[in-house]
Amino acid sequence: MSTATIPLVVDNLSFRYRDRQGAAIHNISFEAKAGEILLIAGASGCGKTTLIRCINGLIPRSYKGEMSGSVRVFDKDVQDWKLSQISQKIGTVLQDPERQILGTKVVNEVAFGLENLGVPRAEIYQRVDEALNFLNIMHLRNRETFTISGGEKQKVALAGVLAMRPSILVLDEPLASLDPASAQESLDAVRMLANTGMTVLLVEHRVEDVLRISPERVLYMHEGEIRYLGDVSGLYKVVNYREVKLPAEQIVERAKQDPPPAPIRVLPGVPTSSVGDEALVKFQDVAFGYESEREVLSGINLEIKRGDVIAVLGPNGAGKTTFVKHAIGLLKPKTGSVFVNGRDTHEASVAEIAGVLGYVFQSPSHMLFAPNVHDELAFGPTNLKHPKQQIEVEVKESLNIVNLAGKEKDPPLALSFGQQKRVSIAAILAMRSKILIMDEPTAGQDYQNYMNFMDSILQMPSFEAILFITHDVDLAAIYANRILMINDGRLVADGAPQDVLRDFDRLKANRLVPTSLLALNLKRLSKTGRFMRAESLAHS
Amino acid sequence: MLVAWRYRKRAHSLIQSFDPRAWVIFYACFLFSTLSFWDVRFLLPFLLVAFFVLFTSGVKWHEIRRAFLFIIGFIFFFAILTFITGRGGTELYEKEHLIREFKASFSIFGWTPTLQITVERAFFAISQLVRVSSIAIMTILIPYSLDPALYGITFKGLGLHDKFAYAMDLTMRFIPTFGRDFQMTMDAQRARGYELDKISGGIVQQVRRLGPVLVPVTIHAIIGSEDIIDAMDLRAFGVGPRTWLDVLTYQLRDRILIIFGVLILSSSIIIGLGGYGKFWVPEILIKLFT
Repeated sequence: MSTATIPLVVDNLSFRYRDRQGAAIHNISFEAKAGEILLIAGASGCGKTTLIRCINGLIPRSYKGEMSGSVRVFDKDVQDWKLSQISQKIGTVLQDPERQILGTKVVNEVAFGLENLGVPRAEIYQRVDEALNFLNIMHLRNRETFTISGGEKQKVALAGVLAMRPSILVLDEPLASLDPASAQESLDAVRMLANTGMTVLLVEHRVEDVLRISPERVLYMHEGEIRYLGDVSGLYKVVNYREVKLPAEQIVERAKQDPPPAPIRVLPGVPTSSVGDEALVKFQDVAFGYESEREVLSGINLEIKRGDVIAVLGPNGAGKTTFVKHAIGLLKPKTGSVFVNGRDTHEASVAEIAGVLGYVFQSPSHMLFAPNVHDELAFGPTNLKHPKQQIEVEVKESLNIVNLAGKEKDPPLALSFGQQKRVSIAAILAMRSKILIMDEPTAGQDYQNYMNFMDSILQMPSFEAILFITHDVDLAAIYANRILMINDGRLVADGAPQDVLRDFDRLKANRLVPTSLLALNLKRLSKTGRFMRAESLAHS
Repeated sequence: MLVAWRYRKRAHSLIQSFDPRAWVIFYACFLFSTLSFWDVRFLLPFLLVAFFVLFTSGVKWHEIRRAFLFIIGFIFFFAILTFITGRGGTELYEKEHLIREFKASFSIFGWTPTLQITVERAFFAISQLVRVSSIAIMTILIPYSLDPALYGITFKGLGLHDKFAYAMDLTMRFIPTFGRDFQMTMDAQRARGYELDKISGGIVQQVRRLGPVLVPVTIHAIIGSEDIIDAMDLRAFGVGPRTWLDVLTYQLRDRILIIFGVLILSSSIIIGLGGYGKFWVPEILIKLFT
């Protein structure tokens, strides 16, 4: 094939950021063909985002540093192109659609690029409608962008790029904030685009999800270099199954050769005799609405008991975060009551509740402020008036749990997103609350890191109950002993994982998708008696 | 992500029946006209216009209650403060006519705290209240009445360059976004036992203790701006003249509104140049307290 017909050729590409030591990527070379989906996988910090910034032109135009090698689009080096030229050939959808959407209405958002190119108005409308129809989101055309769900935002961001008719589409972790059904819909749209002849570069941690749309090839990166480039079947042989989440059958097959994983003792501080004996948090007929006309939560009745490890599942915008914000008193019910340790949240300040219940927010950037990681972690315990010596121990232990020991003096805001997220978790762990609540703790984290810190958190003796919001069905299946399913502000299921997750119709109704691990666990449930991780199933 | 003000289309709203450009021009004329007067007799018609616009805007009381009470409370606070201290308006009048004086029964280093109520101070406070309230009422209605999707084209239609018009659009939406981020940061820090109302110490110490809120909000705003720039660059913003998707067309009523606004402004300027509209107190009160 002549190089002039190859959409993308990356040749010996290296880049070092101006303010960092060491190259972020070294000697990257590959080609991407028309109609191909190239999955780019690898752990956090392996250089995936740097690579796509070099391809879409943000490097070196917005991010300065030393760059060598070349990126050629249809045999033309894009080094000399203006970003506007590149953007007509290479469309980029960023990790978080919230960061990409600029228009107040969907139609304005999708039209934005075309407006900038001075395309005539009639053609803009035609191309906008074309993109919206292609993605089956025509019904959103006149909606305000900040009122649509996470999955819808992702599709709108994609439509905005498609309307510019690029030849190459670059997607940077497009599934990170989506519920499983929305993720599947987005991936289906990507497959359709590739089938029309578009070249798709898809950066994603959720490898197993992407494998469903059969990417033609996988580029696996490690420490800024290509570790593997080839078809999917070859990937299984080269990657460490602890680093990249592979289909459960593959992990089971590979893990058989390794020793069984060490058993985890969940919540070791809770004596078996006292499990379930006391309601630490109680929701009584709770209803809430941000505006008087619309209820976001209604009829919530439940108790969080000692020994509970609860996973909260549900679609984007179902009211999960609103629900957990009631537990710490950040929101007070419009009707009904929430009791934490027997005390009505109407009568207690958030700071008072924080001594009992720790809450890890979804976004770390809303809480990190201190000049170094040590001070960041000491902030909560200091507010709670823990003794100084104890604070030092708490800081050290928390850092170990999130695998950030040695980073005490680093400024938290200079760390990568994944590391910032772990600092935000450690900051709450250091407060040694009895109850821990985490809002999507694994979003944006690589597989190995989040499995490690989930293992460590669950084994901390200080916690009496843990609750986490997640879109990851496997995480819920592996770690939780109780599942809450919330949809449209209502509690639609509350029970043991084996009971709640076996009902596939219910999963579908709540925009959840059964995974290979769930299927394998259900198959072996009569033998195992409980859900397990794939490595444990290999030895069961 | 940028969020918008709480705009919604209202069925019988006078403001919303006009082209946003016409309304912005009228608002600017109203603003500068109001600012050219200190005479409460000239200011009262402006307050009446502001109330008329408020009551015909279709905005419900529950929607603006918090913002309205905050701003009116703020205005009252400053009017009372200038009234008590006598610091405001001294450039508008030379002589004061005492109505009543209250002296403290104690002295601090030879200074006895004294509250003087004079005709001038009282009228200055009233004029200030009427003047600022008129402007505040008109201003508060803008975010509730102008469609955020039309911010950019409105400013473009007022003669701004594409880039500045879009920058104004983003700026208008940055304010509610900043408010949302501030609230989220406050929530995140409160969940770590931080209590803003318990901050004590000197001013420097108090500002330092605001760090847990100010730093994340500022950093978030900076990162957010960088994201916006990237998103704009990646879709060819600023490469040349852009097509604006929405089209605004002046109707007869818009032209009448603009003429009305310009007439108010030019009349106000002429009245001002004629020496009218300056600070005024009733002659009868001056005679009474001379």
